[in-house]
Amino acid sequence: MARVGTRASPIVGKREFRLEKEYPYNRSGPVRWIVSHLARYPYIPLVALVVTVINNYCYSNIQVVIGRAFDLINRTGWPTGALLGLALSVLGLAVGQGLSGLARNYSLEFLAQRIERDARDELYVSLLGKSQTFHSRQRIGDIMARVTNDVHMLNMMFSPGLMLIIDSAFGTVMPGLLIARLHPSLLLVPGCFLALLAVTLVDYNRRLNPVSLALREQFGTMNAGLAEAIAGIEVVKSNVRQHYEWDKFVQNARRYRDLFVQQGAIQARYLPALVFSVAWAGALLHGLLSWQAGRITLGQVVAFMGLMGALRFPTYISLFTFNLVQLGVASARRVLETINTETELDENPSGVVRPIRGEVTFEHVSFQYDGKPVLRDISFHVEPGETVAIVGETGSGKTTLTRLINRIFDATSGRVLIDGIDVRDWNLEALRSQISTIEQDVFLFSRSIAENIAFGCPDASREAIERAARDAQAEEFILRFPDGYETEVGERGVTLSGGQRQRIAIARAFLTDPRILILDDSTSAIDSATEDLIQRAMRRISRQRTTFLITHRLSQIRWADRILVLRRGRLVDQGTHAELMERCPEYRKIFARYD
Amino acid sequence: MGFILDGLESEAYDRTYSDRELVRRILRYFRPYARQMVLVAILLTLYSAGGSVGPILISYGLDLVQRAHSRSAIPLLVGGILLFGVAGWALNYGRQLLSARVIGNVVLDLRADVFRATVEHDLSFFDEHPSGKIVSRVTSDTQDFSDVVSLTMELIGQVLLVLVLFIWLIRIHVWLTLLLVAMAPLAVWLALRFRRIAREVTQHARRVTAKINAQIQESISGIMVAKAFRQEQAIYNTFAANNRQAYLVGLRRGLTLNTIFPVVGMASGLGTAMLVYAGGLAVRSGAISPGTWYLFMQSVGFFWWPMLSIASFWSQFQDGLSAAERVFALIDAQPKVVQLANEPVPRLEGHIEFRNLVFSYNDGEIVLPGLTLEIRPKETVAIVGHTGAGKSSIARLIARFYEFQGGELLVDGRDIRRLNLDEYRAQIGFVPQEPFLFSGTVRENIRYGRPGASDAEVLAAARRISNGEWLDDLPFGLDTDVGERGANLSMGQRQLVALARVLLKDPAIFLLDEATASVDPFTEAQIQEGLETLMQDRTAILIAHRLSTVKRADRIVVLEQGRIIEEGTHESLLASGGHYAKLYDTYFRHQSLEYVEKPIEV
Repeated sequence: MARVGTRASPIVGKREFRLEKEYPYNRSGPVRWIVSHLARYPYIPLVALVVTVINNYCYSNIQVVIGRAFDLINRTGWPTGALLGLALSVLGLAVGQGLSGLARNYSLEFLAQRIERDARDELYVSLLGKSQTFHSRQRIGDIMARVTNDVHMLNMMFSPGLMLIIDSAFGTVMPGLLIARLHPSLLLVPGCFLALLAVTLVDYNRRLNPVSLALREQFGTMNAGLAEAIAGIEVVKSNVRQHYEWDKFVQNARRYRDLFVQQGAIQARYLPALVFSVAWAGALLHGLLSWQAGRITLGQVVAFMGLMGALRFPTYISLFTFNLVQLGVASARRVLETINTETELDENPSGVVRPIRGEVTFEHVSFQYDGKPVLRDISFHVEPGETVAIVGETGSGKTTLTRLINRIFDATSGRVLIDGIDVRDWNLEALRSQISTIEQDVFLFSRSIAENIAFGCPDASREAIERAARDAQAEEFILRFPDGYETEVGERGVTLSGGQRQRIAIARAFLTDPRILILDDSTSAIDSATEDLIQRAMRRISRQRTTFLITHRLSQIRWADRILVLRRGRLVDQGTHAELMERCPEYRKIFARYD
Repeated sequence: MGFILDGLESEAYDRTYSDRELVRRILRYFRPYARQMVLVAILLTLYSAGGSVGPILISYGLDLVQRAHSRSAIPLLVGGILLFGVAGWALNYGRQLLSARVIGNVVLDLRADVFRATVEHDLSFFDEHPSGKIVSRVTSDTQDFSDVVSLTMELIGQVLLVLVLFIWLIRIHVWLTLLLVAMAPLAVWLALRFRRIAREVTQHARRVTAKINAQIQESISGIMVAKAFRQEQAIYNTFAANNRQAYLVGLRRGLTLNTIFPVVGMASGLGTAMLVYAGGLAVRSGAISPGTWYLFMQSVGFFWWPMLSIASFWSQFQDGLSAAERVFALIDAQPKVVQLANEPVPRLEGHIEFRNLVFSYNDGEIVLPGLTLEIRPKETVAIVGHTGAGKSSIARLIARFYEFQGGELLVDGRDIRRLNLDEYRAQIGFVPQEPFLFSGTVRENIRYGRPGASDAEVLAAARRISNGEWLDDLPFGLDTDVGERGANLSMGQRQLVALARVLLKDPAIFLLDEATASVDPFTEAQIQEGLETLMQDRTAILIAHRLSTVKRADRIVVLEQGRIIEEGTHESLLASGGHYAKLYDTYFRHQSLEYVEKPIEV
């Protein structure tokens, strides 16, 4: 009765967690997404824009006032009161410039920090909403980078990135307007300057980028090589390879030097600076000629030069800001990618919902990951309550095999059956809630031991918690802490050994009582007493349910009801210890050293 | 103007070298480039002087064109300005180009020196300095060190500019100049005050951010568990609280840092306003021309920003010196392992003798209070004992990674301190507890101990470990890329590579600090076979954690607090029921066949 291909279509956008009041962001593209984050605080960007205009108006106008003062003092017999008035307006403009500058900086800073916070929150909520499938497949380091670095890049993109962009934009427009008010023809030189500036900046950027990138990469290479030599110093010394390592390092450092000098040469040649110098002279010429022609006063020439001087800022700052924005958009894209990832595993809400007995069958199961075969043609049958040990070399597919049972992955071909029903025909929620996994690395929260044990059932009674701990052989070490069950775990509290964490996880499982248990027990326990305790705990929890054990411990293998021997993705043999000792040479070999 | 926001994150560092000494040593690195440096200095001086000529020229030009109203003055003035602008750009180009070359070379020289000194240090040095710190000293601190120089040059340039302008202005009008300069203390005060606050806020933010990031990391690692147990809301609440805290800290820091420039702008506006008025009166009284008045206006800008930089210079300079000191301290660290002679070492027999040897690590706590132990050529000795008994120290002393404080250590009857270390170590095969692989292929890693070995020899060595079966499990055999620190291989495979490396080297003495990590039983069997091969025909000292390793030894030495309390074979020691029997019960019992064969009781 082949029942392949009867699966329901995936439900797009299904999420396992959402907040009550969630802000709807536009997630159709990185820029739109950023804008929708901005739109959450519509008044702040507006305020920022207005104060930036005021700021640049004040700044530019100071130059105009100075020009007027120049004209004033050039006349004979001018009234000192008029000059005082101009001096006071310089002061007033400076204060206005300062206050509006503060307002601009503060509002954008506030916005930047808000957006970092919101984006991180949004990302986290979306991570919580994703399926276990997603999380099992994701590398934790990648996610961490999104939540910390990428989200912070968004912040930087606004402050100082956007802040400087708005500022340079109005720092160009505003002097331009004031120049036009002096005399429209004066716009000639600044106009030419801006065009040339754009051309030279693009050119500069094009030259600099590849070198800077190579420099950064080379720094990473040099650092990594160095870290490696130092971490392996015992091996380096015992093999008398100090000189070789030194050579290798110096080669890396020399390549870094070359790139550094190359970058220095490009930066030294900063053409926009030259363009500005030429424009400055050009502006002076044009101003003086206009004065000679009687179009403007000499004071207005002074004002014009002052306004030209204001263009110096965008000349030097624009590149830095564009790079920040570029980085910010790239980060936004990565964050959004994570948010928008859907795991295409079918949740099958209308599937079978019933208590699992614990019969597991693999029928010719093969599985490929990224096109590479991981498991090939695996078939076996497990009765309810059996304990199955999976043995094989690291990388032989042991963990992957167990992940096909709770559908972190789906088989590429063949079928996995639980209680005779294809796992894909089970309601995913019903399936997973009855299958528990205890991973090699047991994760504990920075809370009390009791809370960690009761993590799955927050309303478990103290009695039940303690019973679970006793069954898991954990009570002894827990009571050895002065605070017993109330002992804090983690940063603020005690550090537990691998064996102790494992037993806490087993205690958790006693409380939640899954029907199928998958135990990845590859941790090392160095002393026999701990080993005894762990073995006993495992034995006890595995007695009442179907258990898959990935283990290096020979005694667990020896006493399992069934042993699966995996080698490079194939099931080489299966059976009891006695059967395998008789017929499987690979299996025999692992016991051979005991002769 | 950039200085003021730089170096806010650097932490206090207690220095032991004097400023003078550090500066002298820094300058020594620049000596080979003295000529370029002189040229840089000249270019810098010209550039700074030229920078102040621009405004002066304009002010003069304004007066000139106004008085003469002549056509000829305009092209002259504009030509002059153009010339100075272009020349300034060219001077700056030359200066930056040269500085980049010099700094690049100096940093390279320094890095080469530091690295050489570092790898020559004995292992007590690496115990004292965490490897991350060493790396940052070699790469980042050397960079900061060179920043001291560029920083100083920038400063000199700005001081020069201010100075030229000052001299020029004071010759014209003393009182106006003094009014201009009177604002300097305000600038300095503002800069210093701001830096103090900003530094505090920044460092606070860094500490808190590190903590919050750790908490956020925890809430991410916990997602899987939370989902498995349907506790999403609870874990979200924890996260949201952390996120809010991160926001508040970031906001405080951001707002603080964003205060300085607008405030400075206001202060300099005050200066401009005063000069507008006072200068105007001076024009009125005929003391200065309107052009000069304009020069004073421009000078406000030329004065203010350099003052900020100058005020921030000192703490920046000190940070740079601290970086330099960290680098020099690395070079200057005294080696503890000292060879008394440099005698050649012919092929060793492998006879090792500890005579009443006393040893302690840096902390001074005595690990071996007087060890006497003789290991015969080609003997296999397993050393067992609790953690901290001094087992690993024995292997490390034989490898001469550490200096001992008393007694003697003889190899083939010769004092280990008199041997040529390179020749001696060439005959030692050492496998540390965590076998270390370098990024590259398996082949390169096996060859590491004997760089001249041919491919055939490498292959032969690899095949002799467990019949080379393990090579079949590597996707590309000997050409498999092991990844960073061997990340592409399993722990067990890394051990096999390390064993093959030693086998190829064919040392007279084999030192194994056995791994405690568990390895899958198949690979474990291969490792054991490999060990068997390696122990043949050479002296082997095994710091044992595996029962099968112990059983294989000719002699077991039981160590407690650095003393030998029992010696013998596995059987004899077990039969006598002493310390070894107890150790066996603690560490090895569960590895025995009896244990495996005994049903697990519940």
